[in-house]
Amino acid sequence: MSTAALPRFALDADRRAIAGVCAGIARALGADVTLVRLVFAVLALAGGAGILVYLALWAYARARRVWLTVLLAFVAGALVLGAIGLSGSGIFGIALVVAGLWLALRRGGSLRPGAPVSYLGLGLAAIGVAIVVPGGTPTLLAPGAVAAALIIIVGPWLWRLVRDRDAERAARVRSEERAEVAARVHDSVLQTLALIQRHAGEPQRVSALARRQERELRGWLYGDVPLGNGAASLEAALSTAATDVEEVHGVRVELASAGDCPVDDRVEAVALAAREAMTNAAKFAGVDEIDVYAEVTEDAVAVFVRDRGSGFDRAAVPADRRGLVESIEGRLERAGGEARIASAPGEGTEVELHLPRRAQ
Amino acid sequence: MKPRIVLVDDHALFLAGVRAELGDAVDVVGTAGSVADAVPLIKELDPDVVLLDVHLPDGGGDAVINAVAPDRPGVRFLALSVSDAAEDVIGVIRAGARGYVTKTISGEELAQAIERVRSGDAVFSPRLAGFVLDAFRAGERVGGDAELNELTPREREVLQLIARGYMYKEIAARLHLSVKTVESHVSNVLRKLQLSTRHELTRWATQHRLV
Repeated sequence: MSTAALPRFALDADRRAIAGVCAGIARALGADVTLVRLVFAVLALAGGAGILVYLALWAYARARRVWLTVLLAFVAGALVLGAIGLSGSGIFGIALVVAGLWLALRRGGSLRPGAPVSYLGLGLAAIGVAIVVPGGTPTLLAPGAVAAALIIIVGPWLWRLVRDRDAERAARVRSEERAEVAARVHDSVLQTLALIQRHAGEPQRVSALARRQERELRGWLYGDVPLGNGAASLEAALSTAATDVEEVHGVRVELASAGDCPVDDRVEAVALAAREAMTNAAKFAGVDEIDVYAEVTEDAVAVFVRDRGSGFDRAAVPADRRGLVESIEGRLERAGGEARIASAPGEGTEVELHLPRRAQ
Repeated sequence: MKPRIVLVDDHALFLAGVRAELGDAVDVVGTAGSVADAVPLIKELDPDVVLLDVHLPDGGGDAVINAVAPDRPGVRFLALSVSDAAEDVIGVIRAGARGYVTKTISGEELAQAIERVRSGDAVFSPRLAGFVLDAFRAGERVGGDAELNELTPREREVLQLIARGYMYKEIAARLHLSVKTVESHVSNVLRKLQLSTRHELTRWATQHRLV
């Protein structure tokens, strides 16, 4: 409700025809001078109201006499209404409405949240409405005038109510968000810090815990991965798997990825197979670092799990060892993909998981 | 001669840790904890390599590179970070860093990386290779200047192997190339990343935050 944003009204001596009032208005409103003059001419026909308004504005611009301006404007308004054909009481009623609204709205009035409502102003306006309504106004004007008056009187108050309710809701959302963040940080970061304190004597364990937390927190901060549990994307699922393997087996898993995708049943199969491959590497390869790379393109998902460890000869693996066959190859096959295992004694192992993505 | 390096990182603990891990392999001539401190220090000391954190309290690592590079073209930068928002890392690389390694790297590997950067080669950690592949794939979908916006099949192959954890030597053996050729492929990728003016990369970065 800032009127300061409007350019100040002042007489425009450069473009004046009489005293520069019309030119001044045109400049202040950014309107065409001719249009403004036309409006004044039409108003002048309405019982000479235009002339009074002109005088009022001139008086305001020259002497800044607010009361004189208001008085002249009131008389002008009365003349206009009289010219339209309103009865005397109708004009009086409308004058009351205007005066009441002025009282109610002055200095921002009820439009600002927290501002006191001017009951005197609203009361005056209401009395004005009461006088206008039965006052025998022309039938066309009456319903519209009443509706407009009601909107003007009740509108700001309603608007304020809505504003207050919105502010309240925003505050509630903020506090809920804060509680959510607190809960997540508690479930993850604080728990980890407690674990670290308890295991301060075991550097390997502490560093695995710290790495897990770092990865999780990073995923949450930058990747919108839920903190705590649940994996929404392949990268998040692999990250969880990597962390678990790190913690259980005390190895380091270096995870890289290009692209990501949401987890469905098939992608989950890939993630689980990758976890199994990581576990195998950690258990049998005899290394302390495992590299995992996930690549998601439009047509396929590929995950590579690699170690530089002892490697193995496929033919020499006992038939009752089902990990490779069931948990990796079988799982991928069921999902419609393929697992390839490249290994030789002394040359490390790489498990490649490929899954075509269905056309979307 | 040992490489003269400057460490720029705002975590005092980390600075001390890196110093201890690097041991005698390098000559740490200075340390700084902010962009404002780092820029004059690097200009004054003119080190061989600057180990640069991606995030500093008063700006990104790229701010340091942009301020120093015009005056000291000989100084090489190696980005080092735990914060792996892809677009931040790519940003530092595009500003002119010769590589990116994660802070979990061992002292020995870090010393090797510094040596490599000093001799003008690029250092791609698996993670950076993944980011770069992702960034270029976004560019290829959009098109544009093919020479700069696309990786050759060979370059892509090399980057994929880096992402899978292969070392240059292993990549060379697997692709029947010399190590020098592998190095030149990696340097080419770095050059493309730094020279391409494509806004697709920026778009990729923006999307990446949203995905």
